[in-house]
Order: sequence, then structure tokens, then C-alpha cells
Amino acid sequence: MAVPVSTPAERVRPVSPRHFVRLKLRVMGNNFRGQGWRIALFVVGVLVGLWFAAGGFLMFAAPGFADEPRYAVMAAAFGGGVLVLGWLLLPLVFFGVDETLDPARFALLPLSRRTLVTGLFAAALISVPVFAVLVAVAGLVVSAALLGGAVAGVVAAVGVVAGVLLCVAASRAVTSAFATMLRSRRVRDLAAVLLAVVAALLGPLQLVVLAAVRTADWDRLVGVARIVGWTPFGAPWTIGLDVAEGRAWAVPVKLLITAVTIGALLLWWSRSLESAMVGAASAAPTKTRQAPTGGAIAQLFPRAVGWARRDRFGALVARECRYWWRDARRRANLITIAVVGIFVPVMVNLGGAGFAVGQEGFESTGDPSPVLLSISMIFVGVLASVTLANQFGFDGSAYAANVVAGVPGRLELRARMTAFSVYVLPMLGLVSLIISGVLGRPEWFGVAAGALLASYGVGLAINGFISVLGAYSLPETSNPFAMNGGSGVAKSMLTLLSMVGSAAAAVPMVVAAGLLGDVWLWLALPVGAAYGVGAALLGAYLAGDVLDRRMPELLSTVTPRR
Amino acid sequence: MTGEHPALALRGLAKQFDGKVAVAGVDLAVPAGSFYGLLGPNGAGKTTTLSMAVGLLRPDHGNAWVLGHDVWGDPVEAKRLLGVMPDGVRLFDRLTGAELLAYHGLLRGMDPAVVDQRAAELLDVLALTDAGRTLVVDYSAGMKKKIGLACALLHGPRLLVLDEPFEAVDPVSAALIRDILHRYVVGGGTVVFSSHVMEVVERLCSHVAILADGTIKRVGTLAEVRGERSLEDVFVEVVGGRTATGEELAWLSR
Repeated sequence: MAVPVSTPAERVRPVSPRHFVRLKLRVMGNNFRGQGWRIALFVVGVLVGLWFAAGGFLMFAAPGFADEPRYAVMAAAFGGGVLVLGWLLLPLVFFGVDETLDPARFALLPLSRRTLVTGLFAAALISVPVFAVLVAVAGLVVSAALLGGAVAGVVAAVGVVAGVLLCVAASRAVTSAFATMLRSRRVRDLAAVLLAVVAALLGPLQLVVLAAVRTADWDRLVGVARIVGWTPFGAPWTIGLDVAEGRAWAVPVKLLITAVTIGALLLWWSRSLESAMVGAASAAPTKTRQAPTGGAIAQLFPRAVGWARRDRFGALVARECRYWWRDARRRANLITIAVVGIFVPVMVNLGGAGFAVGQEGFESTGDPSPVLLSISMIFVGVLASVTLANQFGFDGSAYAANVVAGVPGRLELRARMTAFSVYVLPMLGLVSLIISGVLGRPEWFGVAAGALLASYGVGLAINGFISVLGAYSLPETSNPFAMNGGSGVAKSMLTLLSMVGSAAAAVPMVVAAGLLGDVWLWLALPVGAAYGVGAALLGAYLAGDVLDRRMPELLSTVTPRR
Repeated sequence: MTGEHPALALRGLAKQFDGKVAVAGVDLAVPAGSFYGLLGPNGAGKTTTLSMAVGLLRPDHGNAWVLGHDVWGDPVEAKRLLGVMPDGVRLFDRLTGAELLAYHGLLRGMDPAVVDQRAAELLDVLALTDAGRTLVVDYSAGMKKKIGLACALLHGPRLLVLDEPFEAVDPVSAALIRDILHRYVVGGGTVVFSSHVMEVVERLCSHVAILADGTIKRVGTLAEVRGERSLEDVFVEVVGGRTATGEELAWLSR
């Protein structure tokens, strides 16, 4: 029997981060309920995480066992710095960020921004990657303890925890800010310009780093490591070693640097978080610019696919083309391909030159070879095609329209490949041009383009299958980097699997580049194009058959559970 | 009844989700030319039943026929005759209304000129022309229902299956949708729709089925099901509602 509560001042119990952590664990647990394969994938993910963690642990702990303080400093500063950088950039490029707890869900609750941010931050710490990193950097604690005794070990432990906090805060702040930026349709042009500038900066930066590596001796590198140790990238990781080397005064200063950085990142995050919460429902309504011209059909087809016939295939291509640009999630993927497509080959090929110099002394020319070029191009082609690994997940429940209309699977897959290629093929052409230009070997254009086309084509074929058989639902948030339900590791596994498969299928291009010599300069482009197109068509043919048989099942896997 | 086949026939449709029975064997025969209301409380299995009937969800048991064509055995012909507006399913909402209609029309294999003409007419009748280049994602709930209906009607189906067409729709739009559906049935089409709004069902339907806990509880013409009482009384009795005693929730009144 309920008693009417008449006291107006009910005691409100404070909400602590503990609640968020428990909520996250509960959501993760419920996701596994009755889904044996999810548990299996999760376990595999944990094992892979542990494998990398063990490797990292050995790397960080080795200088301690070897009693080499100089290497310890370098491992801590550079290794730790790479970790922070990785947490900063990888979510943008590859894996997305686990949004098991979608901030928008908390919009209506009477929570202060501070409570919300600390809570979500605490919940973000509950994840496999965080756990793996923690295991890896525990090596630093061992290292510091061996070099400087128990006190250094304890200090290092504090620093390591602070460092992991820094990593998580950085990844959250950056993805959230970037998501907000891309969501606003006004800013997308600005983003494109910004990314172009970043890409342009990579070249000079590359040369500077290369020059430094070439001329530097170990002392110089240790000096650089010490400087990095005073930046937020290295500060938390090096304090244990500072104690070991008798510089205890550095500890509070570096901890302060770390704390201030974490604070600033969380503040930044909370800013963009608020706009994500408020703006989710009414994300920048399109302005009614001008009255529509022409009939409905003319409006559907963008100018880039004006060549397409006005039939089912054409309609699918046109709609996909519109979506690759209008859907923030897909656009983020396109931008990623553009940036990585330029960045990685330049780095690999110029960096490869550096390696060659290092190994063979200074007399060898150290030029990148067609083989190396082909390998880096295959990476780009595979990366571009893997974007389609969950192409039906992008559609979500809207895919029902195609099921109701009974679109044949082969037609569906071919149209999706075509529409994506409308964006990607020009990009790939540009990449080939730029890379052969940067290398100063215009005659290698064919080799680059051929490898790109071949790997992109086989990638399309393999991802045709993956997208039909391994589809998963994406959360219906406006954050293009959001992943669903704590199984991000498993999803990345599938992506990696598809990338490895596609790369393996494109290996003949590398072999040919190595064996055929100058003939290949002419043959690479036609052979690569034929190989790629053939593979893609075959993939669509075979995977389309599978799709025909499991359209309703596919629809239910890509429909977000509510 | 016109023709030898019912517009929609369901036999023994059943579906479980993770061991929980959602629909436990539904049989239904929707006569051609009827206006059929599928009534049921939330969670009764209306959406699941209709999804299985139109080929969006594979049933564990049973089958469905659209004008004699097996939905799961001969989907191409069945889907050609069928127009569907699912509920809780997004449209391709990053297109404008006109683009969406063009997409649906071409996807149905229609002639481009016919698509253009019908799309313009539908947008005009449904008062969506003013939306211009607004994306469907930025439409209001009522506008989304209307464009969804337009997509289902565009290819001139013989059977229209609508899941909750009047949910979250303002009275003006609801009246418009009612008019269009009425005209469609008078013109020889068949409409099956789910709802839990009694007034609408009583006003529109020739036939009614009441679905609860995954089975059909009552079925027949509106007069047969209703008898002497109001449809709402019959519904509450069949579904087994519970009336508040006034004791609980006392804290709501201060």
C-alpha cells in the first residue's frame, strides 16, 4: 500500500560514475544473452587483445630486464607517445568508438554535464582495448621497478594509469568533436579543405622525420625522447624512470601536465557532447534552397550518374550515390579513404627508401621499387573496398523497401558496387597520379593504378559476401563513428579478416611486379583492371545468389534492436 | 468476393523470437475488395504477422498468399501485386520526397514517364509539394506517414498492407489518408491495416480481426464482431484489460 509522499523536498540520491559503469556492464551482458556466436567472437577478441598486450608488455619491460635506462626512456616516451597517438587517430580511421551508452539517451535525465561526462568516461574505461593497453603498459612498471626499486615502480604504476586515462579521454574528445563537425552539413566543405591541408603537410613532415632518423645517433634520439617525455604524449609514461634516475622533482610536474591535459580533453568532450545530445533530433535541417527542377526522376539522379538508364539498376545506383554523400556515416568513410589513400603510400614508399638506405649503406640508390609500390597500393585498394563490408548496415531498416520490392540480389550488389566506385575510382586515379608524381617516376602510374584496381575489385567481391553474411546493425545515432553494443572487437575482427583475404587475392599483382620487370609497366594497368572488374562481377554474381536466399534474414540483422 | 482467390490468405503463420512466442499460428482470409482492420493491443503480434505476410520476416511455420501467389514461394509475382507501408521501419530518408518516389517507382520497374506523372500527382494530393527539397528525415511524423503511403501506392498495387497508418498523424492528415484509402477500396483495391484506434476501425472497416497474444481472438465482418455493443467494449473484453481501483498510484495526486 503506497503512502502519498507529501514532503516536497525529496532527497535526491547523487548519481555517481559507478551507475554508468554498472549500466554499461549490464548492456554488454544483455547483448550476449542467447547469442552464442557473439560470446565466441568476444572471447576471440579478448584473446587477440591479450596477444597484443603481451607483446607490448615484453617491449616495455625488456629494457628493465636488460638494465638499459637509455632504452627504457626511449621505449616509454616513444612507445607511450605512439599509444596516445593511436588512441587519437585509430578510432577516426578504422574501428569507430564503442557507443554502447549513447549520450543522446541521457538528454532527458536531470544530470549535470559534469556527472554525465565523468560517468560516460568511467563507462568508456570498461572495454577490451583499455584492458589490453593496461596490461601492455604494466611492462613500464616492471621496467621502472627493476631499474629504480619499489618506489619507482609505484610511481610508474600511477603514471601508467594516468596515461591510460589520457588515451581514453583523447579518443573520446576527438571522435566526438569530429562527429559534431561532420554532422553539420555547412561545415563539411571546411572539413574537406582541412583534410586536404593535413594531407599536404604530410610530405614535408615526412622528409623532416626521415632526415632526423638518418642523421640521428642514439644520444640524439634519447634527447628527443626526453623532450617527448615533457609533452602530454610522454609525460605519464616516463615518471617512473624519472624516479629511477633520481629526478623525483619531475614527477609532480609531469603528473600536473597529464592531469591538465585530461581535464582539457574532458572539457572539450563535454562541449561537443552537449551539441550531440541536443542536436541529435534536429541535425541541421536542409535549407529549402531553390524550388526543385524537373520531374521526380530527374531529381533522383545526380549529374555524376546521368549516364545510367532510368530503370531499377539506375535507381539503385542513384540512391546509393546520394547516400554516400548525404549520410554523415558514409561520408566519414569516404573522407577516411581519401586521407589514408594519400598518406599511407607516401609514407610507405618514402619510408621504404629510408629503410633501404639503412640496410645497404649509402651507396644504393634507395629508390622505392614497383614491388613496394604495389604492396602499398594494395593496402589502399583493400582499405577502400572494406568500407562496403557492412554496406547493408548503413541502410538499417530502410533496406525493407528493397526487400518489399523484391530486388534481385545480383542487381542489388552490382548497383552498390557501381555507386561506390563513382566516388572511389576517381580517388584511386588521383592517388596513382600523386604517388607516381611524388616518387618522381611517372612511368609507374600504370603499376600503381593496376594494383589499386585489382585489389579494389577483389575487395569488392569479398566484401560482397561479408556484407551479406556478416552484416550487423549500426546504432541510429548521428555519430558516424558509433559502434554498437560492446562487440566492437568482434566487428573489427571481421573487417580484418576481409582485408587479409582481399590482400591475399591481390598478391599476384605484387608477384608480377617483381618478376616481369619493365613489361609490367605497360601490362599492369590493363591486367589489373581486368582482374579487378572480373573479380567484382564474379563476386556480385555469387554473393547475389546468397543474398536472394536470405534477404529477410539480412533485414532483421541490420535492423537495430530497440 | 471477386475472383477465386482471397486478396490475402494466411495459414498457420507462427514466429518465435529467442524462444518467446510472438505469433502462434494465425489463419486469416481477407476477401478481395474489403477494408480489413487488424486490431490488437501493443505487443499482440500485429507487426510480426503483417511482416510475415508481406515477405519481410521469414515465418517459422505457415505460409501467406497474395491473390493466390505464394509470398515465400513465388515472391516476384506476389510482391508486384502488393503495396506495403511498414511501421517502425525507416524510409530511405536522406532523399527528398520526390526522389524517394522516383526511387520506389523505378525499383518497381515502372516506366519513367509514368513515375514522374504519378509522383507529381501524389505529392500534390498529399500536400507534400511545399516540402520541396526538404529531406524526408526532416519531415514531421505525419508527413513521413504520408510519403510512406505514397510510396506504397505508386505502382498501383491490388493489395495494400499498412502497419499503423494512423499512428502519430494529425487529424487533417488522417482525414486525407482515410479519403485516399476509401477511394482505393471503392476502385476495387483491398486494404489491410493494423491499428489500435477503435474509432478509425469502426468508421472505415468492412471486416475486423482482433489479435491478442499472437492468436486471432475474433474475426468476421464488423457487424459480426461488434454485435450489439461498441467495438471498444468487445476489444477490452477479448483482450482482458484491467481496470484501475483508484488505490494505487496515490502519490500522483498531491
